[in-house]
Amino acid sequence: MKKFLSFLVVILVSSMFLAACSSSSNESDGEATEGDQVVIDFFHRWPNEPRKSFYDEKIAEFEKLNPNVKIKVDAVLNDSYKEKIKVLVSNDNLPDVFTSWSDTFAANLVSSERIMSLNDIMAEDPDWSGNIIESQYAGFTFDDVTYGIPFTVDGKAFFYNKQIFEENNIAVPASYDELVTALDQLKAAGYETPVVEGLTNGWAISHYMGTIFDRVVDNSVLVKDYTAATGEFTDPGYIRGLEIFKELTTYMGDVSTAIDHEAARNMFAAGEVPVLYMQFAEVKYVQDAGDVEFGFFNFPEVKDGEGRPKSLTGAPEGWMLSKNAPPEAVEFLKFLTSEETAKAFTKADGQLNAIKGGVTEETSNPTSLEAYQIILDASDATPWFDNAIDITIADIFMRGGQELATGQTTPEDIMKKVQEAAAKLRNQ
Amino acid sequence: MKIKKAYITPILFMVPTILFLGLFIYIPLIQNFYNSFFEFSVFSQSKEFVGFSKIKELLVDEVVMIALNNNVKYAIISVLLQVFFALVLAAVLEDKFFRRFAPALRVIYFMPVMISISVIALLFGFVYNPQIGLLNSFLELIGLEELAKPWLGNSTTAIYSVIAMSQWQSVGLITMLFIVAIQKVPKELYEAAEIDGAGKIRKFFKITVPQVKEATFVNLLVTVTGSILVFNEPYILTNGGPGNSSMTLAVHMYQTGFFKDDMGYASTLASLIFLLSAMFALIQIKVSKTGKED
Repeated sequence: MKKFLSFLVVILVSSMFLAACSSSSNESDGEATEGDQVVIDFFHRWPNEPRKSFYDEKIAEFEKLNPNVKIKVDAVLNDSYKEKIKVLVSNDNLPDVFTSWSDTFAANLVSSERIMSLNDIMAEDPDWSGNIIESQYAGFTFDDVTYGIPFTVDGKAFFYNKQIFEENNIAVPASYDELVTALDQLKAAGYETPVVEGLTNGWAISHYMGTIFDRVVDNSVLVKDYTAATGEFTDPGYIRGLEIFKELTTYMGDVSTAIDHEAARNMFAAGEVPVLYMQFAEVKYVQDAGDVEFGFFNFPEVKDGEGRPKSLTGAPEGWMLSKNAPPEAVEFLKFLTSEETAKAFTKADGQLNAIKGGVTEETSNPTSLEAYQIILDASDATPWFDNAIDITIADIFMRGGQELATGQTTPEDIMKKVQEAAAKLRNQ
Repeated sequence: MKIKKAYITPILFMVPTILFLGLFIYIPLIQNFYNSFFEFSVFSQSKEFVGFSKIKELLVDEVVMIALNNNVKYAIISVLLQVFFALVLAAVLEDKFFRRFAPALRVIYFMPVMISISVIALLFGFVYNPQIGLLNSFLELIGLEELAKPWLGNSTTAIYSVIAMSQWQSVGLITMLFIVAIQKVPKELYEAAEIDGAGKIRKFFKITVPQVKEATFVNLLVTVTGSILVFNEPYILTNGGPGNSSMTLAVHMYQTGFFKDDMGYASTLASLIFLLSAMFALIQIKVSKTGKED
């Protein structure tokens, strides 16, 4: 009998332990409560300042307004975020409210069938949903169903140090050839690395590639190739595009493959490097980190290119909800994307956003307003390359970009691998 | 009937262990082998049976060859530095002359073992920084600025930089294990050798090395198995780059699964890693059975 009892105790303890393990995995299904409080899991990708503090403040504000709500926040940086959110979605452990990029990134998340459709919520509250710039919904809408609320808008351009350009009588380049000439002039003026990039970040390479391909390859070809079922990547424009990228890396020096984009940005902000391809989202970072006077120009036209000469690379980021998120999470989403929050956000962070009335002369500075206007006026928008194509192919281009910079490979070799991967995807 | 009862108590004590081992080790392991035969995405619940096609893919995957090559480099350097150097270091620390400094030195060598590998990797990110890094600054200070380079950004030096960091962290642990083994060596052997006029080097090779044979085998195989599983160091420092130059099998597996979203192939890579490490574990078991423990 004693033995039977001890057996029971063992089983009981084991099952309690297992129950404890399994209950933690269901925490984000929106039903988790602490006493009478509703717990909302909030996951974003800004553990760095000033945005971390901004969201911490907004969470505190929301919790004060809704005493029955407790928000558990988690934040990791860009690349880690991409990986972690995939792990969470695969385990059916999605946070209630979380950041998402648009296009293929959002589409992949949506394909998990674990993301909340927002059509009804948007229709119920047109004052809120109608106050977001209509065009920015596109990257989060699939088969007429919207799964994400765009918040930040962005564009990518060459930031240049106005003082250095003036001192050396360099005009803002209007074509790729002029850009190369300007970089040569800067090199002759003593700038060993006239343009720099943190090539350890694959996404930074992908931003270059996406824009360059959009300049040199016909858009209809890109549309076909960027679709997994039809992609072939046989257009000679890709080789030309990779040659352009390789040529640009020759101006980046040895350090580029050993530093990240943040280090490159600090070099620009310190006035050490005259040119850097950056997002408008980074205007405030540059302004805060140094006192360089800077302007920006779009990636210039490539004369013999068959693509779109003036399109702007950039796409919105926004918020998504887990399918099981509680109604309080919807309220939190509305709070995050309200005009009031957008105004405070622009003031605190400097990043441009998709909320009407969020970016004004009162909340922003002339440089950011200029960038905002460029985004609104862009003839065409090119999505971030790593979100525009299948990640397997993007990875070949990103790692290939690093290898091009270190002289380990050739554009032809990269395209051979890309074509093989595309053929495999077509057959799936 | 009595014999049967005698068996119940040990079985009862084993139940939780068997349960947890099964739940967290063996079932996932079997699941992993099973998953190797499917094409599936991290986002999707549906799986498509693809037979042995993932194994065929593995055989022609050039990144696997690069990664395997890097793992082998990792193993060879780790054996040289972590096992042989650690043995020498342990012998030095146990030497009469150094014994008075030994406690302080042990703490110094062992300290990196206690620091999280993520913290160490971030720390070495600064050490290797091409502009403000400690290593390049030091080389400039001693007049060797021509040797300064972007250590992690150069496809030739990236993997060796990662390995070097790993050695710095792990050598302390292996040294401590050897110290324990050396302390178990009977003192009479050294005393007899001294009477016969043996020097320190001769005592090391003729007494210490043979007497710590068991510990050497264990350390050797633990190090080699660890080299096959290495993930954190290359993942944090270089993410396998530039290109794939510092890729290891575990990083390749992780990238395939959670970045490229090919869970089936990631499972195949995980199976390869398991088979390789299991092979070395079996050698370890075999070797430890052949020797005699004190």
